[in-house]
Amino acid sequence: MPSLPRLLLALAAGTGLAATARGDGPPAPVGCAASVDHSFEDEVWAKVGARSCLTCHRKGGDAEDSKFVLQDPRKAEGAARDAAMRHNRDAFAKMAAAKEKDQARILLKVVGGLDHGGSEVLKADSVEYRTLAAFVRRVNSPTGAAPLPAADPKAVPFFDGVVMVDDRQLLRRVTLSLAGRLPTATESAAVAKDGVKALPAVLDALMTEDAFYERLREAFNDIFLTLGVDGNPDQNVLSYDHFPTRQWYAKFDLSHIKDEAERRKAGYKLAADYRRALLEEPMRLVEYVVRAGRPFTEVVTADYVMLSPYTARGYGVFDEVKGRFKNPDDPFEYIPVKIKALVGRNKADNQDSATGFYPHAGLLGTFQYLARYPTTETNRNRLRARMYYQHFLGVDVLELAARVSDAAAATAKHPVPTMQAAECVVCHRTLDPVAGLFQDYWRFAEKGVYGKRKGGWFTDMFPAGFEGEDLPAAERWRALPWLGERTAKDPRFAVAMVEHAWYVLTGRKVLLPPKDADDPLYPAKVRAHREQRREVEAVAARFAKGGFDLKAVFKDLVASPFYRADGLATAVKDPCRRAELDDLGLVRMLSPEQLERKVGAVFGEKWGRLNGQLAMLYGGIDSQEVTERAADPSGAMGAIQRILSNDVACKHVARDFARPAAERRLFPGVEPSVVPGASEASDKAIRAAIVHLHERVLGRHDKPDSPEVDRTFKLFAGVVGDAKGRKGVEAKEAYACRQGGAVADDPHYTIRAWRAVVTYLLRRPEFLYE
Amino acid sequence: MRRDFLKTCAAAGLGVAVPFRPSAAREKAKDEPYPGPYYVVFNASGGWDTTYLMDPKGVNGINRLYKDGDILTKGAHRYAPIKKHAAGGMPNEDFYAEFGGELLTFNGLDYSVNNHSPGARYMATGKLDSLAYPTFAALVAACRGPDCPLAFLTFGNYSATGNLVAMSRVPYLPSLRNIANADAVGGSERSPYHDGFALDRIEEALRDANAARAADPRLPRAERGENMLYAAQANSKALQRVTQHIPAQVPKERLAQQAEIALASFKAGVCVSANLSIGQFDSHANNDPDQMRLIPEFLAGIAYLVRRAGELKIREQLVVVVQSEMGRTPNYNAGNGKDHWSIGSALFLGRGIKGDRVVGATDEKQFAVPLDPKTLKLDKDKGVRVRPEHVHEALREFAGIADHPLSKKFPLGVPEKERLRGFWG
Repeated sequence: MPSLPRLLLALAAGTGLAATARGDGPPAPVGCAASVDHSFEDEVWAKVGARSCLTCHRKGGDAEDSKFVLQDPRKAEGAARDAAMRHNRDAFAKMAAAKEKDQARILLKVVGGLDHGGSEVLKADSVEYRTLAAFVRRVNSPTGAAPLPAADPKAVPFFDGVVMVDDRQLLRRVTLSLAGRLPTATESAAVAKDGVKALPAVLDALMTEDAFYERLREAFNDIFLTLGVDGNPDQNVLSYDHFPTRQWYAKFDLSHIKDEAERRKAGYKLAADYRRALLEEPMRLVEYVVRAGRPFTEVVTADYVMLSPYTARGYGVFDEVKGRFKNPDDPFEYIPVKIKALVGRNKADNQDSATGFYPHAGLLGTFQYLARYPTTETNRNRLRARMYYQHFLGVDVLELAARVSDAAAATAKHPVPTMQAAECVVCHRTLDPVAGLFQDYWRFAEKGVYGKRKGGWFTDMFPAGFEGEDLPAAERWRALPWLGERTAKDPRFAVAMVEHAWYVLTGRKVLLPPKDADDPLYPAKVRAHREQRREVEAVAARFAKGGFDLKAVFKDLVASPFYRADGLATAVKDPCRRAELDDLGLVRMLSPEQLERKVGAVFGEKWGRLNGQLAMLYGGIDSQEVTERAADPSGAMGAIQRILSNDVACKHVARDFARPAAERRLFPGVEPSVVPGASEASDKAIRAAIVHLHERVLGRHDKPDSPEVDRTFKLFAGVVGDAKGRKGVEAKEAYACRQGGAVADDPHYTIRAWRAVVTYLLRRPEFLYE
Repeated sequence: MRRDFLKTCAAAGLGVAVPFRPSAAREKAKDEPYPGPYYVVFNASGGWDTTYLMDPKGVNGINRLYKDGDILTKGAHRYAPIKKHAAGGMPNEDFYAEFGGELLTFNGLDYSVNNHSPGARYMATGKLDSLAYPTFAALVAACRGPDCPLAFLTFGNYSATGNLVAMSRVPYLPSLRNIANADAVGGSERSPYHDGFALDRIEEALRDANAARAADPRLPRAERGENMLYAAQANSKALQRVTQHIPAQVPKERLAQQAEIALASFKAGVCVSANLSIGQFDSHANNDPDQMRLIPEFLAGIAYLVRRAGELKIREQLVVVVQSEMGRTPNYNAGNGKDHWSIGSALFLGRGIKGDRVVGATDEKQFAVPLDPKTLKLDKDKGVRVRPEHVHEALREFAGIADHPLSKKFPLGVPEKERLRGFWG
């Protein structure tokens, strides 16, 4: 444990205020070289500053003119981030030294005294207040106050005792997760030879596969939800006013199909493909950027959209671009296209443009994004602004919404509460300028997207801009590209994108900072958050430095101990340590889509039933009403797992035995005639077959005499033995399971016993979880 | 064995089961259906106009469809007259006539915030500033029936579980029929996938494998995941009990559809709680037509649930909470709409709730009036502003789970002196 004098010296050097507080002279210069004081960061900053002060006391905040202006460390990285934290520590220390009569001004302010603009932000009996009071005592009386609680010096390294997944399993985890397939022999050999060092090259190759981009689109749709545009996309995405060709399919010539029913069916498919292709455009942009190795900042800056032959017809540009398609009849081949500024049926609907082109801004300006997050007369684009912050800067603006003593009174007291009531201004000063940037996309449900508001934009809102910078009038026609350019430069963008990649790989969001300072596990949770945060920010820094290559982020995260953590060397009982490790380990229940792909990878064919209502019942999303995937299995999902395991085993076991041994996926080394207990050789063959199944289905690498193989052997032998001892047991596989050329005869009951084994394996967490 | 396993999980605090025996609650015996109480939380998503329901105001231009003298009463209740304006559904007049005697109203609830997302979170969990807290429905399900296969059903609204229990979404009632008999081809009992002895062997192997895993050191997350998976599969067999309660006809009304799924699951003893929800209450434009369409639809849904529960003979086990994430302003905006208002109301009825009562109030400008938590009488000067955490603390006490270890993991921080006394009558 560091000595008290050492701690005090560090604080004094960092704050430059201790001397002042003692009245010993002018403040010492701020110690630029001082390391960041984690006790300040974890205590005063985490519990008070970030949560209760920063929203107003920052540049652009409601209290920017006060003497207490803080910096947001999240908007900086590396040394700049440390400098921001030092600045904040100095600012706090300076305030802690300021007195009103005998009391520290800061302690009076936070409880609403001294006419504090933010009223009461801390309760006098709260942990947060006590934390601040301890800091004040420490600054003002450094020799007499107890030191701030620092990180436990006895704490073990964060990953101490955590077992990492072995290289082979990591490879399988990655190929299944990102490409929906098992590792190839070449990949396995490379990893066997070079360990994790082989992974970057494996990933480079994997990230050229179509399956990776299918997964990428699916996962990013989980985040942006643009497939969930309400209603009919050819009407809600493409407006009546600007796209007279939007219903081209209705006049498409299908006369070459003579049969009327077939022709009608083809017409339905044409329309359905077109609508699906429209909805897919935004995620195809994500795919294009990553596949082409372009900077991922293009998700907010791209000066193009992705069109397919079908959607190009809807936009009315097919003739101009058809030569660029490899197959102009493929509804789902996409190319980047700059579309021209919109021309309306009425002149008033024409779009302003200094270049003659639509002001594209990556996803931000797509009709799908704008239609998915529509506005209303009273919402005034605030939903869009909120989603923008969440999607592109990783900021949940509504999380800032703080409890106020009487929100109704505050609302009623001011003519324009969003500009005048401190409780409201906290969020609206950030949100409303961005809402103003969307002002020319002012059409409501089913009326399209682009259009200016009659009478101009609202004057009872903070004007259009971004983080304290007003939108220049000359830039209004391209307000969204203007926003995109600033977004790409904001350090929070890189972090937010890494957080998205984290979601793609783990299926869950990054940890939020703990808030309940009363929680006895608070320090442990702070540590868990800080360790994870450090990793995310480090990856983000490399991402930004490397030119925003998203593939590099995946490679970085796959190599991260957070992704590889897989178990514990010894059981952990200490609640604090358990809290630190609580979120560690992938342990992700596969989504319906992932589970189908895994069945396909292992058995050569998807199950094909985890779609529609069954997928919803299995925790899937519809991108509209249901937007979050179920993280834990309900009983209904448990039932579906049982059905899947029964049915997949039923379809594949007897069929696999019908193939030549060399072509079998499941049983290449054993025949149905091999029965347990017949000989040492037969048992050995059965154990070898189990080892193979464990590897193929579960990704386990068990030894033939391991307890795991013993258990499966016991199951197999037990079923065969039970059948032998029963009368009336048929000598054939069950009728439903001998379809598709499967082996029907099962005189020893071994095929059915192997089916029981496969059923058992398919119900195991190693198969159903990632 | 399964019960033993669940107890093992409970001892480890794994969110599967915790040994706890509230004296007020009947607990189901081994592998028997969960007998109740059944908790239903109705949510008017978007923010309802309470002045058109349980907190009528005929003054100050707060609404345009009735005057002060038109306000109706039923016992202790005052409610807005809407029969003339209701577009379908069940008007207040009929609702109060049928349920007023068992209805507890709380007026003057301070939602504290004016936004949907934090408001919904706050109302659902009783905690404003945390994304980690479970909703009341999830918490009570975790405490009371962790081994029920559909312990916590949700049809929308904020549904966080705090990792205590799995959330079940059942969008379509007949889909339960399709999965009820998971071990038979096409769900037909005549065509089991496996012979009984083989299935028993499979279950035995799974049990052994889980027990072996439990003995291994695991990351906490792996413990939770594996235990929940095992429990989900093991408990899913109880879904067979649901099929007999699936009605031949699925009602057309959206709340009635949700209610049927919840009721079939309650009746089968596989469910503890359900979030039922309809949206579109966010009437920033044309408040009155929207609210006159939605409030009656909402009330009709509540009535449907309670009546059908009666037909299924489980009404006496039903506890119903009716809420929204915010109220609407006491004035109209330029578009004849009403914007967000941080003051509102909630309704309660069902087992153990003394009806024909109104607690709390708003004043003539629709501001909350503080009340004395001990007497529940209004006290403008010394009373407390009742916020969602006060209501949730009372709900936890009412459900007998306030001292449950899982509840203790998510404290609401209501001081003893602020706890509502005698709230349920």
